[in-house]
Amino acid sequence: MIEGILINGLVKAGLYALLATGFSLIFGVTRIINLAHTALYMLAAYGLYYFGQELGLSLGVSIALALVVTVIIGALTYKLFIERIREHHMTVLLITLAFAIIFEEAMAREFSRDAVTVPSFISGYWEVAGVKVLIQRWLALGTAFVALIGLWLLLTKTKLGTAIRAAGQDAEVANLMGINVPRTFLITAGLAATLAAISGIVIGPTLGVVPHMWTDPLIMVMAIVVLGGLGSLKGSVIAAFILAYVEVIVCYSFPEHCYMSRAIALGAMILTLMVRPEGLFGTSFEEERL
Amino acid sequence: MVHPSRKRDYKLISRLIRDFNGDVLTVPGRVIALIFVFVLLLFPLANNDPHILRILIMANIYVVFAVSWDLLSGYTGQMNLGHALFFGVAAYVAALLNIHYGLDPWLTIPIGGVAAAIAGLLVCLPALRLRGPYLALVTLALPFVAVAIVLLFKSTTNGDMGLYGIGRIFSSFEDPRDNMIVTYFFSLVMMLPSVLIMWKLTDARSSIVRLGIIFHAIREDEIAARACGINTVRYKFIAFAVGGFFAGIAGGFYAHFLRVVNPQDTLGVFLSFEVIMYTVFGGICSIYGAVAGVYFARAFVWDYLLTDVVEVDVGIKRMSLAIIMVLVLLFMPQGIAVWIRDKIEKTCPRCKLNNAFFRRNCRACGAELHVVKKKSIAPDMSSG
Amino acid sequence: MKRLAFLLTPILVLALVLGGLACGDDDDDKAPTQPPTATTQPTDTSTPPPPPPTAAGTIKIGIIGPMEFVQGEHHWYGAQMARDEINAAGGISVAGEMYLIELERADSNELFSTADAVTAMERLITADNADFVMGGIRSEAVLAMQDVAMDYKTIFLGCGASEAELCARVKQDYDRYKYWFRVTPFSGLNLVKNVLFELGIAGAIITQGTGFEGPLKVAVLAEEAAWSEPVVGALNAFVPAKLGMEIVGVWKPSATATDVSTELSAIENSGAHIVVPILSGPVGIPYGKQLGELEIPVASVGINVEAQKVGFWDATGGYGNYMTDLNFYAQGVAVTEKSVAFVDAFIEKFDEIPTYNAGTYEAILLLKGAIERAGTLDTDAVVAELEKTDMIGPGARIVFTGNDTPEPHDITYGPGYATAIATQWQDGEMKCIWPNLGVDEWEGIMYDGTVMWQIPPLLAQRLSSE
Repeated sequence: MIEGILINGLVKAGLYALLATGFSLIFGVTRIINLAHTALYMLAAYGLYYFGQELGLSLGVSIALALVVTVIIGALTYKLFIERIREHHMTVLLITLAFAIIFEEAMAREFSRDAVTVPSFISGYWEVAGVKVLIQRWLALGTAFVALIGLWLLLTKTKLGTAIRAAGQDAEVANLMGINVPRTFLITAGLAATLAAISGIVIGPTLGVVPHMWTDPLIMVMAIVVLGGLGSLKGSVIAAFILAYVEVIVCYSFPEHCYMSRAIALGAMILTLMVRPEGLFGTSFEEERL
Repeated sequence: MVHPSRKRDYKLISRLIRDFNGDVLTVPGRVIALIFVFVLLLFPLANNDPHILRILIMANIYVVFAVSWDLLSGYTGQMNLGHALFFGVAAYVAALLNIHYGLDPWLTIPIGGVAAAIAGLLVCLPALRLRGPYLALVTLALPFVAVAIVLLFKSTTNGDMGLYGIGRIFSSFEDPRDNMIVTYFFSLVMMLPSVLIMWKLTDARSSIVRLGIIFHAIREDEIAARACGINTVRYKFIAFAVGGFFAGIAGGFYAHFLRVVNPQDTLGVFLSFEVIMYTVFGGICSIYGAVAGVYFARAFVWDYLLTDVVEVDVGIKRMSLAIIMVLVLLFMPQGIAVWIRDKIEKTCPRCKLNNAFFRRNCRACGAELHVVKKKSIAPDMSSG
Repeated sequence: MKRLAFLLTPILVLALVLGGLACGDDDDDKAPTQPPTATTQPTDTSTPPPPPPTAAGTIKIGIIGPMEFVQGEHHWYGAQMARDEINAAGGISVAGEMYLIELERADSNELFSTADAVTAMERLITADNADFVMGGIRSEAVLAMQDVAMDYKTIFLGCGASEAELCARVKQDYDRYKYWFRVTPFSGLNLVKNVLFELGIAGAIITQGTGFEGPLKVAVLAEEAAWSEPVVGALNAFVPAKLGMEIVGVWKPSATATDVSTELSAIENSGAHIVVPILSGPVGIPYGKQLGELEIPVASVGINVEAQKVGFWDATGGYGNYMTDLNFYAQGVAVTEKSVAFVDAFIEKFDEIPTYNAGTYEAILLLKGAIERAGTLDTDAVVAELEKTDMIGPGARIVFTGNDTPEPHDITYGPGYATAIATQWQDGEMKCIWPNLGVDEWEGIMYDGTVMWQIPPLLAQRLSSE
């Protein structure tokens, strides 16, 4: 049972972390609560299905196409719609929600509301310590790991990463320092869309792909980002582990109340925030003024 | 010879008429509001189709709900993404009181409101410590916890199936069509005073209630407000209690109107987002924006235009409404009602009174009305 | 850039709208629906066959349901089949005059909003003047929709909600609720009976086939939803008592879950031999797929709505082999003498095996019978005739439960009446495996086309080595 909790929690946490870091990135840098983030994840899963199953392209090509198309959609949405009204925060929230609904309904028109499926990249399972986990899920965990390392390197070791972090900390000063802030924001939006697309592509084959699959993980992703602390990628990853393990432990200990696992994880988040209002690794806002 | 007291009456009445002429009829926005109220009151004379009345009753419920969100989140800036919590708590309390103790709607709805106000006070506790997105996420999570509690006490709440067989608002007539007309007026009796009270409470220029101006102050800069000697904690509690109370009134009315209460419909995350959608669409932080948003987006576009005029399936309805919202908000990011108001009213640069757009001089102080762009009071919700 | 945005926005939106409309047209081609018309128009220009010259008028039937989901789709398909068939034969004869059937389609959005569902119902009755209404899938919403229909004394034939309370209300207040009848499916408790029969057969075959002694272990995987509640309660009570099996645990993921891999891992850990899924959501596909792909040595016997669809085999990539589920129709299985022809016609027309919601077909047929017997459209007379219904439809022989039973106006369950069937996926084909080898009153009940239940090879392997 312990092995089951440890391994299932690990896999789940990896997926949550991958989804949450993208959300955290765009939230931390541009202060946009992007409710369409998980809708991009849904789009990528449908893209994989469309290119791979309907058009019959090879796996590599369909992965690349799904990734590129999703990132273009994500970046275009930001550039054409969100950037112009960035100052109105509630309006941005609403527009991202509207886009999530538009994406969902567009997929429902095109592919109907019945679930479609994508076969695993490598079928079969891999048994560790007596716990069977699909190879696809291990693959997803590995991808999450690589993507997070890559993101960390990008943010800390490159000039672009420095610009992104600077724009996130103080856009005005960053602008004064000669950073092209709008461009940086656009790149951030693209990066976030990339992360969402990657997660959709690697998780999609383990799920039934349906148009409304974006709503279920959205709440968890938002909870993870806030629990970890705004703009802290490290915090997001650690919070992903905490909430994933809470869910898995609830499911193992109280099987009849599995459906409570989400509420209990969210309750844990609320309690943590009561003790640390700025999240686990966030900076305190007390001295910051609006 | 007129009796002196009678004379006083005349004076009062003539003063009222003068004020009405001067302060209401000269401002286009207020004229529109007045016409709107009259249309609502007289609507059943023109059309007493029960399903149209049902759409309007639902709209009235949503109006109270949306305005209460606007009061809490729009004015004080306490971004609440889980407003359905108050709606659901009141719906459950009203339903349980009605089913188990046989209380009538006129009692259960206010009691439900009070229960929701208490829930509001409880939610306010974390709100004192948390700011911006942190508060938003905690409030978003609370309805999920509430659903878990509902499912934990299945013997009382009947779990997912929820409560049913709740008493009606009004059912004395034989013909359900007549009952619907009376219920419609009851919904107005609930909606109009609630909106009026919340509008007066949040009026920043009011000389009687200081709440409005303080709410603005808390939203714009809480630390500065505290530095000015405002007990921000107290006013946050007030905002949460009042917002919760009126959301609860809406929830209680919903329970007695639809006669079923279940977790998905009354505590669901989409209900919380829906209310934000309508309010932001109409114009946040303005009260009338929430009213306009609900009537336009919900009653007109969703329930009438896309259902009765153009018959389409729900999926296309959702998509069309989302596209309309994106387009409108792209060009009127402060909301449709606020945008229209800015077009038809001009604020006097000197005395800050609102004037009709065609005036050249202020109706009160005579100052010239330049093309002064009215500063948008849409709140900045970021915490960064 | 700003100008570009201004230019691109309308183009994008236009594209989206056109895309939506184009796809909407596609749907219309598949399922001939009425073109959008204003409700003020008294008659719709729908697509029934040309009316015979004798038609005296039309009878309007409101078809209400979540039209974009499989439940609503099949509800609508079933209604169309009945309309086309009856109208082609001249219509319904009321006191010597022929009336044609006209369908009024209403999307209730009930899976998401009870308020929308109730508004749609009220509109159907008061604005569209539907003479009869049929539909209602989500029990919570149907409780509210039922009240509206009863307010207007409109006959409401339920086609999809299994909640017992809906019929219990008829007993409590007959005069008010007598206009409600349930045509499909039967109530939750009878669904459990079928699951127990399935389990019994699986258990017997497992014990015979492998020589396994000792109680079989059963794990229940039920989504947390209103309809699954009574099913799980009854399983807990009856599986140990009636079947002598041991329940090792009940796992209840949320109804919106998209992944049950943690639950499956825990179930395998519990040593269960049989998993009973009680699932209606799309999670049924990853459930079937992962059970096979992870090579978990168990048999799956229960209710998995996804596995009732014809696309299940491909969706799971064949990993859903040996899944056993409660079902209502299967190709080539003669539940009644009308079944095979109906299912074949349905597949030819809509390219899908009908789900239980297609019972709307029977609902319209039995309504026709009642109207013709009553010889009038008067509601009370039709109700009285509906109560006397004894009709053999493609899914069952339909007789409504009497007013002396605790739940009147429900369809009678049992051998000789409505039984439903159980199907198992066997190498890409959905085969009927129950009712068969019946005992007691089930003796001799076996529909043509029924085959033996097969033990999943992995389970057989595991049991013979245990």
